[in-house]
Amino acid sequence: MDERHDELHSSVHATHAVVGSELTFGSVTDKISAIVLKRKTPISWFIGFAVSFALFQLMMLAITKLLFVGIGMWGVNVPVAWGMDILNFVWWIGIGHAGTLISAILLLLRQKWRTSINRFAEAMTLFAVAQAGMYPIMHLGRPWLAYWLFPYPSTMQVWPQVKSALPWDAAAVSTYGTVSLLFWYLGLLPDLAAIRDSAPELWRRRVYGIFALGWRGDERTWLHYRRAYLLLAGLATPLVLSVHSIVSSDFAIGLTPGWHSLIFPPYFVAGAIFSGFAMVLTLLIPARKVFSLEKMVTLRHLDNCAKLLLTTGLMVSYGYLIEYFLAWYSSDATERYQFFVARPSGPNAIFWYFMLLGNVLVPHLFWFERVRRNLWALFVLSLVINLGMWSERFVIIVLSLQREFMVSQWGDYSPTWVDLSILGGTMCFFSLLFLLFLRFLPFMAASELKELRREIEHVPQLAREPREREGDVHG
Amino acid sequence: MAELLLEFDRPEDLARAARELRRKGYAELEAYTPYSTEEVREALPERRSWVPYLVLGGGLSGAGGAYFLQWYLVAYLYPLNAGGRPPHMPLAFVPITFEMGILGAAFAAFFGVLWAGRLVRPWHPVFEADGFDSASVDKFWLAVPADDEPGREALQSTVQSLGALRSVYVPSAVRR
Repeated sequence: MDERHDELHSSVHATHAVVGSELTFGSVTDKISAIVLKRKTPISWFIGFAVSFALFQLMMLAITKLLFVGIGMWGVNVPVAWGMDILNFVWWIGIGHAGTLISAILLLLRQKWRTSINRFAEAMTLFAVAQAGMYPIMHLGRPWLAYWLFPYPSTMQVWPQVKSALPWDAAAVSTYGTVSLLFWYLGLLPDLAAIRDSAPELWRRRVYGIFALGWRGDERTWLHYRRAYLLLAGLATPLVLSVHSIVSSDFAIGLTPGWHSLIFPPYFVAGAIFSGFAMVLTLLIPARKVFSLEKMVTLRHLDNCAKLLLTTGLMVSYGYLIEYFLAWYSSDATERYQFFVARPSGPNAIFWYFMLLGNVLVPHLFWFERVRRNLWALFVLSLVINLGMWSERFVIIVLSLQREFMVSQWGDYSPTWVDLSILGGTMCFFSLLFLLFLRFLPFMAASELKELRREIEHVPQLAREPREREGDVHG
Repeated sequence: MAELLLEFDRPEDLARAARELRRKGYAELEAYTPYSTEEVREALPERRSWVPYLVLGGGLSGAGGAYFLQWYLVAYLYPLNAGGRPPHMPLAFVPITFEMGILGAAFAAFFGVLWAGRLVRPWHPVFEADGFDSASVDKFWLAVPADDEPGREALQSTVQSLGALRSVYVPSAVRR
């Protein structure tokens, strides 16, 4: 077995468009499972893990304090009763959406280039939803009563009020998390089986064997698997659009100036996908470097992500434009004040400028191919976009609540150390989960890559891309 | 009761062998492959997946159940006047109905595959074959039923010309 693998390994040379053309079937598994099985863990992994773990502990401390004292530990108070908690919830859930877009929508559109990044993006979705899910539960104030959200047969005979947007949210987010997990795990099964079968030690074979659920790859299973996978993709597509639409209705149903707008659902969905693609780049660029995956994640993938950032960024800009137009057109004094005075010049207005910088100006840099194919530029700009989208949610939530209808209602908001620790802590919890995923699971869909590899043999156009561009992959 | 497992290097080799065997009257073939290919699918006896019907059923029961539950809770058991909305308000029930429909369908798809593929079964007779590890990595295996001894000789001579990398007998799986 080792000889064969070595022989195949030596044939890995060239870099092509959607997958390196000389990757053989064995070497795809070899390369991906080697990261799990053989490769020494890079020192940067341990450093990342240690930092993440330390800050994760800070979050646990902050949450403990929050549970003992109450949500007064946050900077929220009337009138700004929704602060960083809800804002981080919306931000995280939005980040997850690009993962579903890559794995489901691009699958349905038969975009072959998604194959080497879909698993990665699905994991990002799953871990982002896990972060998002914590916030509303903390926001309940008495999180130990979170089960009240569900219609359980209570002796009090009081049931959830399903005509409110908040139970919709609970249904949408829990469905989204569950479906993302099922989709991800179903995709993992053949690859877990491949790791089970190439692991040298018995204990690893046992561990991966348990999680592979006895996958044998018989044609009968493949038949049902293919149908089910496609159907799950078809189900996840309307789901992802519905989730952020429902999240936006948490706001749009309220009368607060700046919230009560019909543009919210599509504009939230576009923003979610926009921020998610930024996060894909933020995670993919370092992982590609650390695990030297230049042959599987080629510049074409990054280029396509940047193009999608440009597209969704333009949609977000259009959303802003319509929002401003409607505020002006409504002739409502509070709406006009909110959009034209409070946001550019009120308290915390700096986030409005960050929002414009990250979401309106920066995407236009992706018109240039030189930017789209420059790793450093992409990485830095993706961080700026993440900040921009976080600021957008800050603007929508905090800036709107600061300036409601009556002057006597006006207030200010600033986060406390608990707010900031929980935000930083969820970022670290996210990277903790992600690092574990990179280390212990096949983070590329090996079976799909093999299938793609085979299709390339039969359909050479898939592999075609001008040679000169590939020079900078290695550079 | 046994099966003969044949290992092939490429899916087209397996497909050629499968067609040859079917011509000779071996109808119940099964392939074990690292990924799904059209050649292999076309060479094996035609099958249809019933998972889509299960998914439809899961989706409809999820959505129907959710709608009924919402009506039962807020229109029947505990009608509450929230903002003057009528107790039974179909529009407000749409989001949860939709989400639960998706959830039911997704559960049906996932557990349907596990059921259809007879998974969650960490051991299976085919795993006893020497070198079967490659079936999930880069080789393509064909399983031919080899029931009785006289048939086995005929099978052996048929198999000689198929160009398999190796051939192994394993006890056949418990009937599926």
